[in-house]
Amino acid sequence: MKKALLLLLQLGVVASIATGCAVNRATAHVEPGTRLSEIKTVHVKKFASDNADTDRLIADKLRTKGVSATTGTAPANKVDAVVTYVEKWMWDITMYMLELTVVIRDPKDDYPLATGNSYHTSLTRKSPKEMVDEVIDNIYKEQGQ
Amino acid sequence: MNASLRARPGMTRTSLTALVATLWLVGCASPANREAMVPTDVTAARPHPHSVSVLASGGTDTGALDSSNIADEDLKAAIEEAVTRNKVFTSVVQGKNGDYELSVRVTRLTKPLFGMTFTVEMEAAWSLTRVADRSVVLRKSINASGSAGAGDSLVGVKRLRLAVEAAARANIAEGLKAISALTL
Repeated sequence: MKKALLLLLQLGVVASIATGCAVNRATAHVEPGTRLSEIKTVHVKKFASDNADTDRLIADKLRTKGVSATTGTAPANKVDAVVTYVEKWMWDITMYMLELTVVIRDPKDDYPLATGNSYHTSLTRKSPKEMVDEVIDNIYKEQGQ
Repeated sequence: MNASLRARPGMTRTSLTALVATLWLVGCASPANREAMVPTDVTAARPHPHSVSVLASGGTDTGALDSSNIADEDLKAAIEEAVTRNKVFTSVVQGKNGDYELSVRVTRLTKPLFGMTFTVEMEAAWSLTRVADRSVVLRKSINASGSAGAGDSLVGVKRLRLAVEAAARANIAEGLKAISALTL
């Protein structure tokens, strides 16, 4: 009986602090009127809690799309778009990137022009580079490029 | 293991009952409730003397094994109700027959995985277009957050849903305040 109560207590603690299970997801959206082909220069703004030099990975990926990309906290020159991202990490034996959201913004007012998000749990985990590739490719695919 | 279970069948039954009871108690995540996302503290100076139609996108359905999300149709219904309740426009219409078209797209919904107090951040792209000439009169990225603590619910999945709803409520309130400030 005592062990059962202990089990119940442990399950109760897990139920209390956990937010739910998870699924794998990959989505992208490009705002109507936005032409990604016209975005030739971007600045990838470094996320404060970046754990994997994700800004550099995003910039490298964008360069493969023919875009000139810089990274850091603020752009040195005028750019066609600013790229922001949020990454979420999880631990399961080792740390892995659980979720990555990339937003391509109008530098004038920060308005989101295009968004991509990938979410992969432990069993189908991807490396940060693979996550970046998937998100950026999905954004460009969304506009048929 | 079998020997010990046979030796203590009561223990096994009690453990299984405890497990089932806990799973039943926790359940799976439920989507954000549309009524709970409606802000009531938006004080529009005066209703815009026009009609508006609402489009919502970027939301995600809540799967059986997922955490709480905001579905597009629930966000749309919450915004429509908020526009009506707070008298931001004189009427809300369906389809493309309104004087204005309000588009709200969820671009980011950042949710915690663990914790006692959950804080959810929501970014949405708000745009208001005059239908007659398709001119954009408002284009704004709105960031808002909402929190729920152990005092709101001891069950994690419910606490997260409450935080998601609070973030959506705050975002809708900010968006409608921005629209109320316009001269249309």
